[in-house]
Amino acid sequence: MTRLSFLLSRRSTLGLAASFCCTFAACGGDTARSGPSNELLIVGYDREPDTMNRYATHILEDIESCVVEGLVTNDENMQIIPVLAAEIPTTENGGVVVRADGGMDVTWKLRPGVKWHDGVSHTSADVKFTVDAINKGDWKPESVDGFDRISSVDNPDSLTAIVHYKEVYAPYQLQFVRGTLPRHVLEGRDLNTANDYNRAPLGTGPYKVKEWKTGEYILLERAEGYWRGAEYPKIKQLLFRFLTNTTTRINLLKSGEVHMVALVAWDKVRELTAISGLRMNRVVGNGYEHVTLNQRHFTPFAEVKVRQALAHAVDRDLLVRTILDGQVAVVNGPIQPLSPAYEPKVPTYGFDPARARTLLAEAGWVPGADGIRAKNGQRLAFTLITQSGFAIRENVSQALQEAFRDVGAEMTVKLLDGTSISSVWFKGDFDAMLHWWQMGADPELTLFFAGDRMPPAGRNINYINDAELTSLLYRSDRTADVAQRNELLREAQRRIAALAPEIVLYNTAKIDAVPKALKGFTGNPTNAGPFWNVHLWEIGTP
Amino acid sequence: MRGLIVRRLLQSIPLLVLISVLVFALLQAVPGGPLSAYLENPNVRPQDIERLRAAMGLDRPLAEQYLSWLSAFVRGDWGYSFADGRPVFDRVLERVPATLELVGASTLLALCIALPVGVLASVHRLFDRISSFGAVAGISLPVFWFGLLLQLVFAITLGWLPSSGRTSFGVSSFADRVAHLILPVMVLAAVQAAAWSRYLRRAMRETVGRPFMNAARVRGVSERGVLLRHALPNALGPFITVVLLDAAMMASGAVVTESVFAWPGVGSLFTESLVKRDYPVLMAFLMFGAVAVMVLNLIADIAVRTIDPRARGAT
Repeated sequence: MTRLSFLLSRRSTLGLAASFCCTFAACGGDTARSGPSNELLIVGYDREPDTMNRYATHILEDIESCVVEGLVTNDENMQIIPVLAAEIPTTENGGVVVRADGGMDVTWKLRPGVKWHDGVSHTSADVKFTVDAINKGDWKPESVDGFDRISSVDNPDSLTAIVHYKEVYAPYQLQFVRGTLPRHVLEGRDLNTANDYNRAPLGTGPYKVKEWKTGEYILLERAEGYWRGAEYPKIKQLLFRFLTNTTTRINLLKSGEVHMVALVAWDKVRELTAISGLRMNRVVGNGYEHVTLNQRHFTPFAEVKVRQALAHAVDRDLLVRTILDGQVAVVNGPIQPLSPAYEPKVPTYGFDPARARTLLAEAGWVPGADGIRAKNGQRLAFTLITQSGFAIRENVSQALQEAFRDVGAEMTVKLLDGTSISSVWFKGDFDAMLHWWQMGADPELTLFFAGDRMPPAGRNINYINDAELTSLLYRSDRTADVAQRNELLREAQRRIAALAPEIVLYNTAKIDAVPKALKGFTGNPTNAGPFWNVHLWEIGTP
Repeated sequence: MRGLIVRRLLQSIPLLVLISVLVFALLQAVPGGPLSAYLENPNVRPQDIERLRAAMGLDRPLAEQYLSWLSAFVRGDWGYSFADGRPVFDRVLERVPATLELVGASTLLALCIALPVGVLASVHRLFDRISSFGAVAGISLPVFWFGLLLQLVFAITLGWLPSSGRTSFGVSSFADRVAHLILPVMVLAAVQAAAWSRYLRRAMRETVGRPFMNAARVRGVSERGVLLRHALPNALGPFITVVLLDAAMMASGAVVTESVFAWPGVGSLFTESLVKRDYPVLMAFLMFGAVAVMVLNLIADIAVRTIDPRARGAT
């Protein structure tokens, strides 16, 4: 038997252990965790942006919007408010004129005294340049929606841009929500490869990009001479750390290495509530979780009674109380409560399994030996697809499975990864899908419910085709007057609820974990994101 | 030796082409594509999707896409990332130092553990039992779980170490860099040390029983000398091959560890690119992995030949 000590003496073992401990202690000393201050606020962010160019990115524009401001944005109550525009053009204030040829002219009055970060004035020439750059067609902006309906832009003076549309375009107010491109920097350049701009854009906003360390963070620092006044923004530096792993993000909040996290998963809220110094900021979201019923792929869904029966089978209040931990609210339609176009008085489908069974029986679906209903030899059995790795969805799917089985419908659950699932639904190759739509601030529904907007022409993946609804939706699109348009959309919501093309579950409330000491933070229901009013944020006493 | 290197390099060319075909085909077979993320945004219309597809060259036949990628790749043009429009070469290259740092440090630590543990376990029965328990635990620990556990203990509860990232913001000291390395290195090294120590133990055991060992003892060589100067060099040949191949795998695949610790290396670039189906980056990354395995394999062969004269005649 060889003794252990012949390779490593006791003394050297102890020495090694001691030096290891010393290294640990020495290293730890450098990682002091300071709380949030008006010098630095650290944000744990779930992904690295692809580009800082607001028109080209296809993820949320949270970081970009601190640098590049839109002509408008929307506040926490979903009201569209002017930023670089002096006012919102409407038919009442003469900013919107419908022409005799069916086109529309929108006059944008720009806020005077606004300068780009390099000191050059922001003018209507930048608005015109932006439209031309997007419409030129040699660039890869994410969406050109709306821009392609613009025939030209006139600049009668440096602060007025008259945008001429070929046809009435109802969501015109949000046309420049992503701001403008600086003509004096980008004219004559290829925007696809203008990486100096795409990585650190010239903006008019409260912050500018100081450093983008790929894979690690983006550091924004206060832009001097911000147009709102020298007192804004109040926080000197914002550091966005990229933390793709959800648990890591939460761990860093706990250890104090990051100060805030935007969009916390609903099932993590309770865990974070216990952390002192943190506040959970909740706003109603502008999206809704629902079960899409693809009536083209699974034809029984084409029967309205089948759809209504399935809606009655689900105890949505129970789902929200249990799986969602009470963090969200049950809703009944695609337009969410904060929208000016929201219609509260729609037909609803409360939890009523008896009514569900009656409806199915009326539609001719009778239970077979295994308890599953059938009609003309076809069983009421379908597959629901949803995103894997999303614990809440997996749990809700199981609850739905149980609820549908109780009224005689068999549902199989198939989990797909987040990237694969989009291509599946875009091809319409599924029976049912549990997912959400995060809607834009504009209440347009045409894309989702008009009879001719099934993929690839749109997002109507219920494949509903109702002439009355389609007509209402297109009329709303062609109405420039906001109040009249909202009335048409309210009627459309009542029609949608009566048809029950999908099973609407709950509103996608947005919950952000922020320091208690952070003043001015309100959150935001739309993709304008929680940083929409970042210039007002200030660290005070909690 | 030069002949070996030239021969290996020539052999690797058809192999790399074959790998590139397979990888390209596999990526295409995975459902979803670079435009999937755009579909989720209701503002992106079908016309936009078609416009972007054409701009990315995804509307061309697959064979044409592959050939144009290959011809550009061999000329050193790795293309542009679909995600951010920057050159793929830059995107991969800027992540390499972080990964080398992580893999280098964890390989070193794993060797520091595996070498003594493997040698001792081969000769000391009680130590063998204890270390084999530790090794089984190390091999079976899910990396993901172990990483989060270390974060919980050392970063959150004790507050001794940073839980993630490569440096603290605004701090540029050497100690800070080491502090950030400790937890991810512990995770990676635990798995490697466990596997390597068992491997070395077995190789040592096989050597210890052979006649030349007794011959050495008869010549009066001490027990320590027998083990370290006679048994260990014999066991090291195959061990080095395993270590270098594992290091190559780690270099291209410390994916989970990099994700848990937000380590800005090629592993996290891979995860990110896979989610976005960023084909140009994925192709470059996978080819980079294939080349890394081949090169380290060659280095392992050269190292074995240097250590063990018997291997020099083999091809």
